[in-house]
Amino acid sequence: MPTDSEIFDKICELLRPYNVKNKPILRSSGIMSDLEVDSTAVFDLIMELEDHYDISVPMEVISDVKTVGELVAAIQELLAQ
Amino acid sequence: MSGIGGTASEGPTGLDIFSKYEPLRQRASVVSKLGIDPFNMTFDDIMGPTRGRIGNREIILAGTNNYLGLTYDEGAREAAKDAIDRHGTGTTGSRIANGSYTEHAKLEADLAEHLGKPSCIVFTTGYVTNLAAMSGLAGPKDVIFIDADAHACIIDGTRLATNKTTVRFRHNNPEDLDKRLSRQELDEGGHALVVIEGLYSMFGDIAPIAEFAEVCRRHGAYLYVDEAHSYGVFGEGGRGIAEEQGCLDQVDFYSGTFSKSLASVGGFCASNHPEFELLRKVMRPYMFTASAAPSNICAAQAALDAIKTRPELRQNIKARAAQLHAGLDEMGFDLCAPASPVIAARRPNEAQAAMEWNWLLKEGVYVNLAVPPGTPQSSSLLRISVSAAHTEADVNAILSKFRALKENGNAILADGMARLQAAE
Repeated sequence: MPTDSEIFDKICELLRPYNVKNKPILRSSGIMSDLEVDSTAVFDLIMELEDHYDISVPMEVISDVKTVGELVAAIQELLAQ
Repeated sequence: MSGIGGTASEGPTGLDIFSKYEPLRQRASVVSKLGIDPFNMTFDDIMGPTRGRIGNREIILAGTNNYLGLTYDEGAREAAKDAIDRHGTGTTGSRIANGSYTEHAKLEADLAEHLGKPSCIVFTTGYVTNLAAMSGLAGPKDVIFIDADAHACIIDGTRLATNKTTVRFRHNNPEDLDKRLSRQELDEGGHALVVIEGLYSMFGDIAPIAEFAEVCRRHGAYLYVDEAHSYGVFGEGGRGIAEEQGCLDQVDFYSGTFSKSLASVGGFCASNHPEFELLRKVMRPYMFTASAAPSNICAAQAALDAIKTRPELRQNIKARAAQLHAGLDEMGFDLCAPASPVIAARRPNEAQAAMEWNWLLKEGVYVNLAVPPGTPQSSSLLRISVSAAHTEADVNAILSKFRALKENGNAILADGMARLQAAE
């Protein structure tokens, strides 16, 4: 099972092409509000995470996720199930 | 103090209730400085399926989804007028109260017969159709699988449904659906409902429905296909992409709208399932809204008759779509899909797309400006919808304006930038 920081690093790597203004990616960064990733792109990012970790991330989980840190926690929880 | 009646508009957090829309306001403000607001424009007159007027300028309409051009069909207009004379202007009630007339039932029966399905239910709009049918079908244990490019009404259908899990799969990719269906464990008594569209409204690309049906069959999943943009247009009998691909009988739930090829306002969902009619008693967007006005129902009925009896409409829209697609392709526009009645050209960014949209309108051509998040891949698009009512000359006129758009690209951008600077 990947560690918290490995998941964070993976998310940072996958976020890079969507982070068009090249803003620093912190755990506290709002994915849509700070990094300005639009909602469609967020879903595309999630699909890449699903395939990388071979998990299913329901849309209902994504709607509760606002920050990078919350996304790390959500992925960790789904991997633990 | 907060509230409309107050003297201040700040709430307990010190922020106005609209403050969350500040990024949107700024974005909309840029677009509105470029000329006419593409998302809040008004035509002074609409004279026919392909002609409108703004001031004294005649506009070729090339973004109305009026695929068969039947909104001005004599039969549809007479049917609507006659319905008003006989039944008045509205039903004032829902389908489960006083809002079901003989005409609603006849249209349901005729649509069912046309699609070869035992049941069909008619709704007040196309948007409401997917909201109602999807939320009626999916219960707490069920999982909905939707295409990544799903229309807003499908996404909203998953929000209204009581299912706890919705999974997105890669656009038009049956293999990816297969993988996600395999990955997803279903609760005991739960089912998978897969929702796709026939023709996707932004890029104009077509779903491999037959391949999706095969994946669904293997996993025991139900297949729901929204043919809003393809019913009446594709298939020998106008039954959509599923008919064209020979898999109509494998579609468990088939939805469509009246507001495109059926030249009216409303929607429908047809099904093979023997219990489908039960949904009338559970679908909140069916039960708790007024039914479609008789004039809308009767116009759709007349348009359905035209779909059945006038195959030349489909031949014409295909010819015009091929003509327009080939012309734009030749000019080097980056088109999103092969020829279909929806033809979308990718533009470099939202501001440029908005400048070009305004320029085209000024030159007498109305297309759609489509921007994220309403578009796949965060694209900014000039989107055209072709009509069977367009003539060869109309399409040539549209093409000549797109050619001029290419030739004058730098001047259009410079003018747009000047407008933005002047407004600041």
